[in-house]
Amino acid sequence: MEEILLKTESLSKSFSNGGDLQHVLKNIDLELYKGDFTVIMGASGAGKSTLLYALSGMDTPSLGRITFGDRVISELSTDGLAVFRREHCGFVFQQIYLIESMSVMDNVMAAGLLVSKDKRALVEKAEELFRAVDISQEIQRKFPAQLSGGEAQRVGMVRALINSPEILFADEPTGALNSKTGLDVLNTLTKFNEEGQSIVMVTHDVRSARRGNRILYLKDGVILGDCRLGRYVHGDEKRHKRLAAFLEEMGW
Amino acid sequence: MEMRNVIKGWRHFWKKWGGSVKKSILFARSNIRRSRGQTAAVAVLTMIAAVMMNLWLMLSIDYKQNFELCHDRLNDGHVNLIAGCEEADFCNYLEEILREDPEVMEYCITNAIFTGGVFPYGTGEVSQNMVILEKETALSRKTGKFEIMEESGEKSGIYLPMLYGTGDNYSVGDTIEIAFNNEKIQFTICGFFNSAMTGSHNCGMLSLLLTEDKYREFAEKSSAAKAVYTSVRIKDQDCGERFDASLKNAISKKYPNVPVLSNYYEMITTSRYISQLICAGIMSAMAFFVLMIGVVVISSNVANYIQENMQNLGVLKAIGYTGGQLVFSLMIQFSGISAVAAAAGVGLSYYFFFPVNRMMIAQTGIPYQVKFLPQLFAVTVLCISGIVAAAVYLSAAKIRRIEPITAIRGGIATHDFKKDPLPLSKTSLPLNLALAMKTTFLGMKRNAAVCVTMLVLSLVLVFSTLMFENAIISIQPFVDLISGESADSAINVDAGIEDEFFAAMSGDSRVEKVYLFHKGAEVLHVGGVSLFAAVSDSYSRMNNPDLVISGRLPKYSNEMVIAAKYAKENELKIGDEIVIKAENGEQAFLIVGYCQISDYLGKDCMFTREGYERIGSLQNVTYYLNLEADVDIDEFNAQVTERFGGDVYSTFNFMSLMEGTGSVYVTLITVLVTAIVFLSLIIIVLCMYLLIRMLLNSKKREYGILKALGFTTRQLVMQTALSFMPSVILSTAVGIFLSTLIVNPLVTLFLSGLGIVKCSFSIPTDLNLAAGAGLVLFAFGAACMMSLRVKKIVPRELLGGDV
Repeated sequence: MEEILLKTESLSKSFSNGGDLQHVLKNIDLELYKGDFTVIMGASGAGKSTLLYALSGMDTPSLGRITFGDRVISELSTDGLAVFRREHCGFVFQQIYLIESMSVMDNVMAAGLLVSKDKRALVEKAEELFRAVDISQEIQRKFPAQLSGGEAQRVGMVRALINSPEILFADEPTGALNSKTGLDVLNTLTKFNEEGQSIVMVTHDVRSARRGNRILYLKDGVILGDCRLGRYVHGDEKRHKRLAAFLEEMGW
Repeated sequence: MEMRNVIKGWRHFWKKWGGSVKKSILFARSNIRRSRGQTAAVAVLTMIAAVMMNLWLMLSIDYKQNFELCHDRLNDGHVNLIAGCEEADFCNYLEEILREDPEVMEYCITNAIFTGGVFPYGTGEVSQNMVILEKETALSRKTGKFEIMEESGEKSGIYLPMLYGTGDNYSVGDTIEIAFNNEKIQFTICGFFNSAMTGSHNCGMLSLLLTEDKYREFAEKSSAAKAVYTSVRIKDQDCGERFDASLKNAISKKYPNVPVLSNYYEMITTSRYISQLICAGIMSAMAFFVLMIGVVVISSNVANYIQENMQNLGVLKAIGYTGGQLVFSLMIQFSGISAVAAAAGVGLSYYFFFPVNRMMIAQTGIPYQVKFLPQLFAVTVLCISGIVAAAVYLSAAKIRRIEPITAIRGGIATHDFKKDPLPLSKTSLPLNLALAMKTTFLGMKRNAAVCVTMLVLSLVLVFSTLMFENAIISIQPFVDLISGESADSAINVDAGIEDEFFAAMSGDSRVEKVYLFHKGAEVLHVGGVSLFAAVSDSYSRMNNPDLVISGRLPKYSNEMVIAAKYAKENELKIGDEIVIKAENGEQAFLIVGYCQISDYLGKDCMFTREGYERIGSLQNVTYYLNLEADVDIDEFNAQVTERFGGDVYSTFNFMSLMEGTGSVYVTLITVLVTAIVFLSLIIIVLCMYLLIRMLLNSKKREYGILKALGFTTRQLVMQTALSFMPSVILSTAVGIFLSTLIVNPLVTLFLSGLGIVKCSFSIPTDLNLAAGAGLVLFAFGAACMMSLRVKKIVPRELLGGDV
């Protein structure tokens, strides 16, 4: 029996667009499970990012409920959502969004110190994560403007994982990277997932989507398909073909 | 032909530059539209500066001229003199002197009565040397005219100077009781008159006009001296002091026993405008401070604008705009806002001028007609917008150096993040405080703006607490500064009963202390001007030990103390010997100290009794008395008068005098202090608004990220507000410390016209610390309020991208 991490009931999100109401998400009922690497795919404008931000408490739904464990997060205040995010979520963004005025280490510590007061333990954990993503001590002292794209995204991942979030949200994490660094980032995410980290990732990229064990296909604000692929195994052609067939079926 | 050339030239100019100007104006308009809040805050700051500046200009230029206009309109004397003698010989002699002096243009000699008098005023009383004239005679004077400002149909009674008809004082038809040498007489007030030189208790002598019947009655019954009142107009009004001295010298040569009292133009222009002097001084300082804060904040805004819009500016340069056009558009934007706000501020200053004018009239007694002054309007608007334009020009110089392509590519580092001033992994500060401190360290221009603001406001605060402590809570220190020495009661008695009086007072259980302190004995500094002497044989018993600000009090008969202002003007040093002359002759005296009594605007000196009697003699003497706490001063004075009868010439209740004549200043100072404290709070709010708005614009992305990571709005509000606190606390602490050092010299500067050369008001340290803490807390509160804009930063919007 899989443990439900996040659950949505009739989740809807609408935006006002020049007087017209645009329904981006429509009555989505969804369950996300612990330990899964869930990938959300879909064409541009399908509502992928909107769903991700709603699930992560970055945005509030227009209608419906989102439940995390036994907490209804869709009813939380703005500050309540902030506390939810800091305690349970980690984020990796396409544009990375490191804070320019802080060193690499401080970018991570700023997130870590929000939750933990044990500075020494936090530094040790940060260093362990930096080692895991191959960020040297020299880089840790640098500022974001001095990093390459791959380095910056790996720092972003360390920041996302510093509080051992129950769920890691990744929004096109390889979108701004070249294929080599993108691959490194995907490998890192896969490695963390193998270690038990739940991940929800939005992507356009089939190669990235292969890393997920569950693929949700979104079209016009509704989940059109839900494909269970099983754990990622490097070079598993059969698995790749299943994904390709699913995507083809979805009209990709 | 010439006109055609001018038009041609203008067309050529417009063809060449008109397009640029139009484009710059378009940019300026677009910038203003995009930043309405900033525009409003800059406008309010410059408007406050304009209000202050225009009030200052009105008070120091036009308001002062009002006295000159009044003086000219009444053809008043440049020197006015009352002599306690109406004998024909004396009058002929006086007329002869005036007729033969080539300096004299015209004069008028009128019979009068010369006496001391006391009457209720405000919550206290006025005690003055009075010149009493018959109304019709006074109105018929060609020189030193009196003009009736208000009157009833009453045929019998008194006319008072206009000053006493202002505020809640006397009205036509009221009854006034005046004590002339303790002889109380009641009069019905028939009206009020205007007199430039004798229309206030700041003139050294105060005129009162009696109707013919009352004048005759008073002259018959009263023991007051029959006198002549002389008004003299001279060719050079600035030589009034010298002429006054020579006239009195000539009189004392032939009639040494005739009591003479006088005033002159320069003295009255200062003394009737004390409140104007104080108010204008404070307004000028506030205008300067507010403008300085405004310029610093605007410069900071411009620097931030460049930083925020680096890429846009690069694009504009790339498509052909010159650096000059872009700088010019910013100059138009800010100086345009400032000019409009300054114009509105000038308008607003007229609104505020009405209550200010009412307060001023309560002290000057000369009505002032508020009217629009276009030249002052132009000066204020041009000055403020010019200063703002210059500040913008200097702050925007960086635009000229922007290389378009580098800017477009984002290659110009707006921040140089190379050093981490406060690594989170090492600091022991709590997270939010540490992040706030990082913001502090990375915003030096912002810190500089905060520092300038808080330094200035600390000075304003320290000035306010000083005035609160030394004038509002108790006017005693202010009175001590202005009048030198005071006690509970002062009693002027005939010198013949002095010993008996002194023995009686010394033996009275109600009297704590009694000592001779006789002021106002007129002497002449040979080679200089008339001075007013204070005489005592027991200076050690005085209540105000700070009367002598340098050197010491006179101990021996050949020593004297001289007013510091007079000594400075005449380069007289301690140790110098000067010759002083009075009715009994002249003697050399050694200057042993400088005093600061401004009763006679810095024309004062002090002798021991023995010293004074080398040159003159006291016909009457004034003793100062400190009474036991529960003694009713008025009752005590009445009993002493009753006991010694006609030998008591006058009694003074210092508390009443202070309350009477001092209440005008207390009201003025209270209003000014309240206004400047209120203004300071507005300035803090405006500065915080501008600086925080700037900060949030530059940190929008960073705060969005932090919110996404889980920082709450409250945490970010605290971080923002706390980031201002180091500079606020440091500059307030330094400001208060430095201000305590300079505030007394600053007050000295405001009051220098009164003869004050050293002000040593007690500085209320506890109050300053409390006020400083209050200022910091208010700044923190304002910063928190302004930081609530953080709420509007939504992480979702920053993350953008695909739907």
